[in-house]
Amino acid sequence: MKTTATKIFIAVFVMCFISMPVTQAKGDDFNSVVKMIEEFYNVKHEGIPFLAKAGMKVATTAARIKGGTARRLAEAGSIKLAVFEDQKFNGDFAKFRSSLNQSLKVTWTPLIQTISTAGEEQTYIFLRDNGDKTNVLVITIDERDATVVQVTLSAKNLALLLKDPEGTGKSITEEATLIDQE
Amino acid sequence: MKSTFKTSLISLLLIITTAFVAKAQDTRIQLGSLDHLAAKASETVDVNVDERLMKLAARVFSDKDEDQRQIKKLIEGLKGIYVKSFEFETEGQFGAADLEPIRSQLRGAGWTRMVNVVSKKEGNLEVYLQFAGEMINGLAVLHTDDKELTVVNIVGPVDLDKLAQLEGQMGIPDLGIESTKSKKKTNEQ
Repeated sequence: MKTTATKIFIAVFVMCFISMPVTQAKGDDFNSVVKMIEEFYNVKHEGIPFLAKAGMKVATTAARIKGGTARRLAEAGSIKLAVFEDQKFNGDFAKFRSSLNQSLKVTWTPLIQTISTAGEEQTYIFLRDNGDKTNVLVITIDERDATVVQVTLSAKNLALLLKDPEGTGKSITEEATLIDQE
Repeated sequence: MKSTFKTSLISLLLIITTAFVAKAQDTRIQLGSLDHLAAKASETVDVNVDERLMKLAARVFSDKDEDQRQIKKLIEGLKGIYVKSFEFETEGQFGAADLEPIRSQLRGAGWTRMVNVVSKKEGNLEVYLQFAGEMINGLAVLHTDDKELTVVNIVGPVDLDKLAQLEGQMGIPDLGIESTKSKKKTNEQ
């Protein structure tokens, strides 16, 4: 009896360890968000045109940040970027927001969310504690374009984000797209 | 016998912990009832700095930076900052019924409306503090204008001076709040 119980315990223990990386891989919320935008708005992100690589859907710009004024926010090698250009983003803001929050609520904390129906602009900033680093997910959608950026911020830049969430969130998106254009 | 005692002790600790957590969350105003206004609003802002983010902020704000050092001091002990703000194109997009779920929470135990607070901005300003004895446990601000509605809820030890200094920081809008005297008027009427 004891042996069976021990075996079950060991099996469960081993399975937990085996399933850990799988869980992490499944937890790639960046891709989930990109997919969600595609499905909700019936749009396609077009890869990164400036990299001119057909089929390259998402750019993970590893170690492209070397310093400089326009590159001061994200940690080196931490940027994931998806761009949607010149497409129609017609849809119910509230419904999209609700779906987004629902899908990210387990691992991400919403910091600030702004919706402007006049300009059809939406900005969502989420944070995720990742040990000694903090991941930031910035989603901006307007009438014709959208950007999804995930970066890791240093403590210094995280302080900037918390002090001025809206302004720093915009800078992260601008910086990420700027870096990739270089 | 020992095992039963241990189980009882753990249960008791859990109950006590839950009670403390519930007490700490008392000053958090539930703002979800306002969400339906987003469909009518031209601008919606939703700020959510929960306890985890407050701790993170306290950790990352630098003592070397004058601004950050000041904010760090101001947010010490705070458990959350929550803001919901709506701007409308036309008047009459929200009414008393929309605000009633918020007001009913502010009529709850411990909440006190401050009558000596004015705003440099136009519109109606209501500021509420939640007291536990002499201690302030939380603050709520309700600012309404014909085309604007803003609710700010700060959980934790905060006073009007702190609020005034935090305006424009960490997603708290600039409401131009000014305190005159330290008079207060309770809700219990």
